[in-house]
Amino acid sequence: MLRGGGSDTEMTWEDQQNINNFGRLNNRFHELDDKIKIAKETNDNLEDASIELITDEDVVRFQIGKVFAHVAKDEVENRIEDMKEVTSQKLKKLQDEKQSVVAQMAELEKILYGKFNDSINLEED
Amino acid sequence: MASSSSASGTVVTERRGIPGAQFVADVQTYLTQSGLDVNSALAFLQERLQQYKLVEMKLLAQQRDLQAKIPDIEKCLDVVGTLQAKKGTGEALLTDFEVSEGIYSRARIEETDSVCLWLGANVMLEYSLEEATALLQKNLENARASLEVLITDLEFLRDQVTVTQVTIARVYNWDVHQRRIQQAVATPTQE
Repeated sequence: MLRGGGSDTEMTWEDQQNINNFGRLNNRFHELDDKIKIAKETNDNLEDASIELITDEDVVRFQIGKVFAHVAKDEVENRIEDMKEVTSQKLKKLQDEKQSVVAQMAELEKILYGKFNDSINLEED
Repeated sequence: MASSSSASGTVVTERRGIPGAQFVADVQTYLTQSGLDVNSALAFLQERLQQYKLVEMKLLAQQRDLQAKIPDIEKCLDVVGTLQAKKGTGEALLTDFEVSEGIYSRARIEETDSVCLWLGANVMLEYSLEEATALLQKNLENARASLEVLITDLEFLRDQVTVTQVTIARVYNWDVHQRRIQQAVATPTQE
């Protein structure tokens, strides 16, 4: 990450902490990306499930745990609505956090490139 | 564990068995204090890095296990909750469950006051619905708490890895710098 031009720019503990934080944020960023992908998939699945519900049957086999329980269609609709609500909230929270992480990373990038210029490389491999 | 005494002031010297990486403010001071020459210092730091990587793999595996366990417990809670909801109604719960891969059968679960929970090690215990909910809830909280601690451990570890990588780069750069200076000093005398 720190390339040598042979020059020895002074590094302080604060700089080290900035680099550490940048690393942490980068990891968090990737984790969030993965979680957002999964949350979006879950959302889509729930949407599809709602659409599937538009049938004539009053009893739907709804998966709870590993078994499929016979549940009345109304209750299934309610359950799916609740699950959709929970997942959308979760997705929104993840996206907000991702935005904040990206902003913080940009800040740190500015500071670190400002001080170390060419001696540091903060890009993804 | 003895804390590393240096002018640099690392905040945490170790966490749960993971040694902290010493922050190096000045390479020259670090080399003089440790009494190592450049190559030995680099070798030591590389070895530290390897050790960190090993611990990281172990922790990541534990994290994956916990992350798989938590949704499982949540599903169990869901089932117990459903059974509890059915209790007042007088209806039986009809479910289709997997008998073997790809083969399902229908089960009729009458109103019940108790469930059996698989505790592991080939042990299954019968609990009342309330007790089962309480036990599962406690397991869920424990799992979530362990996950929190684990994530903090991983963050600490990654910081130490970063510090060590930075130190390796700086020691190497310092060495290059020193050689250049020596060459610059040596060349005039050759002429």
